[in-house]
Amino acid sequence: MTRLAGGLIDRSLPLNFTFDGKAYTGFQGDTLASALLANGVQLMGRSFKYHRPRGVVAAGSEEPNALVELRSGARQEPNTRATVAELFDGLAARSQNHIGPLDRDFLAVNDLLSPFFAAGFYYKTFMWPKAFWEKLYEPAIRKAAGLGSLSMLPDPDAYDKGFLHCDLLVVGGGAAGLAAALTAGRAGAEVILADEDFALGGRLLAESDLLDETEASVWIATVRAELDSLPNVRIMTRTTVFGVYDHGIYGAVERVADHLPTPGDKVRQTLWRITAKRAVLAAGATERHIPFADNDRPGVMLAGAMRAYANRWAVSPVKREADAIAIFTNGDDGHRTAMDLIAKGAKVLGVIDVRQTAPRFGDYEVFAGATVTGTKGRLGLNAIEITRNGRSEWHPVGALGVAGGWNPNVHLASHHRGRPVWNADLLSFVPGADGPKGLIPAGAAVGKGGTEEALADGMNAAITALAGIGIVAAGIALPKAANAAAEQVAFWHVPGKKRAWVDFQNDVTVKDIALAHKENMRPVEHLKRWTTLGMATDQGKTSNISALAVMAELTGKSIPETGTTIFRPPYTGVSLSVLGGGDTGTTFRPRRLTPTHHWAEAQGAEFVEVGQWMRAQYFPQAGETHWRQTVDREVLAVRSGVGLCDVTTLGKVDVQGRDAGEFLNRLYANMMGTLKVGMVRYGLMLREDGHAYDDGTCARMAQDHYVVTTTTANAGLVYRQMEFFHQCVWPELDVQLISTTDAWAQIAVAGPNARELLSRVVDDFDLSNEAFPFMACAELTICQGLRARLFRISFSGELAYEIAVPARYGQALIERLMQKGADLGVTPYGTEALGVLRIEKGHAAGSELNGQTTAQMLGLGRMVSPKKDSIGAVMSRREGLAADRRRLVGLKPLDAGTQIMAGSHLFTAGAAQTMETDQGWVTSSCYSPHLQSYIALGFLEAGDARMGEVLVAANPLEGQEMKVEVVSPHFVDPEGGRLRD
Amino acid sequence: MTDLTPVTALGGTVPRSEVFGALSITENAGLALASLSLRQGQLAPAPFGLVLPDVSQTVSTGGYGAFWTGRDQWMIEAEGQGDSDFAARLKAEVPEATVTEQTDGFAAFEIQSSAGAAPIEALMHKLVNIDPKALGVGRATRTGLEHMTVFLIRRADDRLAVIGMRTLAGSLWHALAVAARRLEA
Repeated sequence: MTRLAGGLIDRSLPLNFTFDGKAYTGFQGDTLASALLANGVQLMGRSFKYHRPRGVVAAGSEEPNALVELRSGARQEPNTRATVAELFDGLAARSQNHIGPLDRDFLAVNDLLSPFFAAGFYYKTFMWPKAFWEKLYEPAIRKAAGLGSLSMLPDPDAYDKGFLHCDLLVVGGGAAGLAAALTAGRAGAEVILADEDFALGGRLLAESDLLDETEASVWIATVRAELDSLPNVRIMTRTTVFGVYDHGIYGAVERVADHLPTPGDKVRQTLWRITAKRAVLAAGATERHIPFADNDRPGVMLAGAMRAYANRWAVSPVKREADAIAIFTNGDDGHRTAMDLIAKGAKVLGVIDVRQTAPRFGDYEVFAGATVTGTKGRLGLNAIEITRNGRSEWHPVGALGVAGGWNPNVHLASHHRGRPVWNADLLSFVPGADGPKGLIPAGAAVGKGGTEEALADGMNAAITALAGIGIVAAGIALPKAANAAAEQVAFWHVPGKKRAWVDFQNDVTVKDIALAHKENMRPVEHLKRWTTLGMATDQGKTSNISALAVMAELTGKSIPETGTTIFRPPYTGVSLSVLGGGDTGTTFRPRRLTPTHHWAEAQGAEFVEVGQWMRAQYFPQAGETHWRQTVDREVLAVRSGVGLCDVTTLGKVDVQGRDAGEFLNRLYANMMGTLKVGMVRYGLMLREDGHAYDDGTCARMAQDHYVVTTTTANAGLVYRQMEFFHQCVWPELDVQLISTTDAWAQIAVAGPNARELLSRVVDDFDLSNEAFPFMACAELTICQGLRARLFRISFSGELAYEIAVPARYGQALIERLMQKGADLGVTPYGTEALGVLRIEKGHAAGSELNGQTTAQMLGLGRMVSPKKDSIGAVMSRREGLAADRRRLVGLKPLDAGTQIMAGSHLFTAGAAQTMETDQGWVTSSCYSPHLQSYIALGFLEAGDARMGEVLVAANPLEGQEMKVEVVSPHFVDPEGGRLRD
Repeated sequence: MTDLTPVTALGGTVPRSEVFGALSITENAGLALASLSLRQGQLAPAPFGLVLPDVSQTVSTGGYGAFWTGRDQWMIEAEGQGDSDFAARLKAEVPEATVTEQTDGFAAFEIQSSAGAAPIEALMHKLVNIDPKALGVGRATRTGLEHMTVFLIRRADDRLAVIGMRTLAGSLWHALAVAARRLEA
């Protein structure tokens, strides 16, 4: 055990946990990393590429090395940073990315082969033969690479999402963030304070600095208590603000139950979208290390992290208490660690300071003008080589803290393409002025990392932010604090022949950067992709700037000239489960159910997703073993008796007003203003570019009242288009629009017995052909007084009607029709039969109205009225469209039993099958039980003049080729007698 | 009176109602809706004594209500008239205006809190990107909820109506119930 005195852990609450099956004990307040270190465990994993032994480097979310698998079974979670995994009783963690035991990883052989695995290795090695990539190289590489493993089981936990609104979002609860939140909270502003840690305080928890001459935790507790008491302040710990999005929206993940063994009845995590009028970025800073030979050994870590472990978790990072600790630094900050460790009673070898005139702040040895040039220790550090004035000597140590300076966490400020700017005094990038609007960086995030300056900067940022939205905030009394000495010099890496790691997680060394330079991969974007630097799960938080500095040294340019590292969301990894929003399976997305859905379900219908809708696809009956049997029966029933189909999904738009007719004239390609009251007309809409857009019927219920129907797929789009033209293009027209799609249950009643069936439900209404002819419509009552609408329209080509009733009666109506039509052979039919019926009749649907077709191609060219202007009419007459000679045709295979694949292309028999000889394509295909043959629709070059010609329908993807005869698209009743009589 | 038996938006013979801690959610099958749009140049009428409200506002009196849905356009509500031809009644009130039956275009869910505004606002935080403080009593808005479009009407501090598309009633109920249940946890 290497526990020190003090710390912010609760020693009265011991917690048992396991790592690689071995039992350990930690305390409430520990992270997995601090608890492992306290138990003398330095070796926590293997590196990504070379499988080098690795230990913890950092103490926060920037950790590149200490990645573990947490939990087991379906909750197994790979690549979890041990530094942010809160310890709980019973926690089970395993190391990852090794074959065999962690301390004898078989894949460590990769390290011996490292000369072959230099930067760009994959790109150079696995290029030939080309065909090997997909089948051999990639699977093999993927198997060897990667970090943790997946359980391959569905995530058993619930996830949630939500929305919050505030005046001021404070990102980060350290010195600056707390001062900002308190300032804004006292001013009465709506404040959200979010911090990724489970405790507020940020670096205040990790430092020994006093506030008002007492421990910082006292001040933090006082502030927390006040913030908790303010109803206008919401404190969100365990919450990472991971990105800035449009309109002042910040994405945040709250880890509601990650710190519990299982979530119980809680959700695991919540995705919050926070709309903030202003935000203060008080995200602190991340320490960088200094690459030197063999700097990746367990026991080598960031000096600031070492301080955090000592002060917050009372842990010394050595395996044995007797082991000494050394610090390697380019500035004063490293000395702080030495001082804190000494104060805690740890054994300190001394501070290796690259500066010739290195200061000494206490009773410890200073190796001035010295560097660390090597390390020893197979699975953990046991000695370092210190080189001074060309002389090297080895010193036994159990841990080495490395302090290379601090990089402000500019991440969120560089979303929205904000460019960080180089600050030569701070030797770091700081947020630029062009970051997200309304986001003010403060404290260490802007380079003001001294406690005193961070507190003041946070307060001032809040005052400035609130002033921008008209809230006057007064300054608050800040605690007395000091800024620690922070002199430093630019020192980016220790030159040498051996490998010096820059990016620990992706195993990128100084040599790799040199190779990238040599191979002219010099821009940072190329450097990143060639070496994979910064592309691991930590996104290079501890390595990016050091890499830039190394490249700058090689190119002879300054760091800002070499490039800037900017960041995209997310700040840290966000699970797909929480992004998914929670619902899975059938509730993954909303489903629109037709008014007869529950009835169809009770009939055993199979359903098909049609956009948001669930539609009955077919209604199998006992003894039917194949869907085709069912569909054939349904189709024949419609053609010989009467069928019922719920067509509620077709869009319905109520159009009223004095100018409704004129409005529809402009909307439809054909004339609607002349339609007689009580009649329906088939209508075609064009897109503005002249292509066919949507078709449907338009019924005139009264002089100033039409009901427009659209296709199911385009219901929303057509309505939107209507609103756009109504509101923006023709506001002078007196028109009122509203959707009534859901309001009315609409059922198609189709077949020779349709009239007879309807006559059994209507109240005293003359359905005779004379009184209610083809394309008539009327408002009437049915079933003793229920208001209804009746349209005599036909998609199937049979005598057919569509009857609409208020949706709440839809189910009762279909039940009544089924009951009344039993002797007429009434049969419910689904979308499959609907499709067969319309193909047999040659009616276009989505496959024909695919955005590439014109009215002429559909055989509807004469519908584009030359007597008026309408959307797309002018463009439809342009040469490119008007000259298109492809026409809708019917196709029959010479062998009636062979299916024509939709999507097949048509070629002249005997001709070569090339793009140039392509004659058209097959749009829709089905088996016609009526004709006892497969049939199809398609577009064919000059198709209307090629009846009887035999073509080849080729489907190269499936290796199919068949002969088809060109016929009329109207396979059934081409004269239309059935639907008119 | 028709001899057909209606079902509620959720497909039941009686409206669904469920209690989740301080919140109860009840399907309001009795709510009749009809849209009212002014013809060009027409002055706003006062159907059933309702003073038609301005943008994002709602009014109610004597079992009737109205909320603004667009320029010169309102939805008129009538409690307990879901089964009647309410559009015809409204048209009789405002013969010059455009009226369209909307009752069965929507499913209305009335959410009631037994613990003041807080549970209602907590529920809103989980469901809609609308600041509850901006949706005070007497306010109405249209917004997205789980990829569905809904009207929100703040009938009282402790009452919120969510009115969504009828064909999506099941999905809307699921969304409301899951969120309410999680608040209970």
